[in-house]
Amino acid sequence: MRRFFLLLGFYTVLTPAYATVDDAISRALEAIDPYVKEGYIVRDDQWGGDLGVKEQKAVPHVLFKGNDYWFCIGTDVDNARVAIHVYDSKGKLIESDSWQKGRFAAARVQASATGTYYIIAEVTSSPKERTSWAMVYGFK
Amino acid sequence: MKRNLPWILFSATILSTSFPVLGDNPPNQIDLSKLPATQLDDVVVPLPSEVFNVLDKLGTPDWKGELRAPGINNRGARAQIALLLGSVVAEGFVAVEATDKERVKQIGHNVLELSRAIGVEKTVLSRTNLIVIKADTRDWVGVRCELDGALTDVKNAMIELKDAQLAYLVSLGGWLRGTEVVTSIVHKNYSLDSADLLNQPDLLKYFQERLATMPPRVRGNQLVNKIQKGLDEISPLIHQKITPTSVERINEVTSQLVKAINSNA
Repeated sequence: MRRFFLLLGFYTVLTPAYATVDDAISRALEAIDPYVKEGYIVRDDQWGGDLGVKEQKAVPHVLFKGNDYWFCIGTDVDNARVAIHVYDSKGKLIESDSWQKGRFAAARVQASATGTYYIIAEVTSSPKERTSWAMVYGFK
Repeated sequence: MKRNLPWILFSATILSTSFPVLGDNPPNQIDLSKLPATQLDDVVVPLPSEVFNVLDKLGTPDWKGELRAPGINNRGARAQIALLLGSVVAEGFVAVEATDKERVKQIGHNVLELSRAIGVEKTVLSRTNLIVIKADTRDWVGVRCELDGALTDVKNAMIELKDAQLAYLVSLGGWLRGTEVVTSIVHKNYSLDSADLLNQPDLLKYFQERLATMPPRVRGNQLVNKIQKGLDEISPLIHQKITPTSVERINEVTSQLVKAINSNA
């Protein structure tokens, strides 16, 4: 993580585009912060990229029965809205809770079976053509 | 897409027109087969902590009986060291479950030594120091976090060194040792719930695909070849209802593979 931010800092000098990645990760970590206080262990890793409006990215993830997960997404773009939802391998919406607050969104899964789930991230609206986003998750 | 710097530069620009917009009110059902490939990322390899977190809730197995001494002196090609490194980190989780302070500290040193052998020592130095410090204070949750972090840091360092193949092998080594332990525990006290932990066909497929697309010099490695055959044998057992017999066979295969990794055979 530290290495990632150091490298990002270096690349920021080269191109302003990288700053948005850095900021999107910070927003995602901001979104998951309340759950850290509830005992969720946050994985020191991030997923992300940039998406157009209404464009989605699906991240398949093996979740384990008995674990409780929060997936959080954030973007640095002002006035953008992002969403995150979780489906099981049959395409059924599986989250037990979710919320959306502008640049942040989150979905909770209390996995009832071990298997592959699809975390779908989406930019629902944005003033920009491409919107950088980042996702982090925690479990307990 | 994961964490690599180029992801912002190379992100896909092909948009879907057939997949429903989720937004704030997502549909209860979607057709995943209509998800365009450009929108689908690689499967996320779970952290060992995620598996052991569930095992914590499955009673109190004889963790000390599951401990093995890694053969870190039997070192061969970089591929074998990467596999060994992954399996040693997984061993660290078993040692945490067994609350074996000295073994955890030894594993911290082993991780450092193996990382040195493949040129990523600096990346994990602070993690391995913390593993030792936290083991001394019996901060088991903290040790788990550092083991997870060491695994992630090593893999990312390898990707930065343009050695992604080795990073996959580290994950695979960890998965094999983890699966050996899980099947051993499940087999001793079988239940549908505990066997459900092994329902990871997409993860297995991911490892198989990664091995199949490795450069010939890696695929030609005798150990890698053996592992590829082992995964092919496990695959049909994980793609169906996981019976006690399947659990036993998966355990036998993964045990043989972990032994081969440890003996560089």
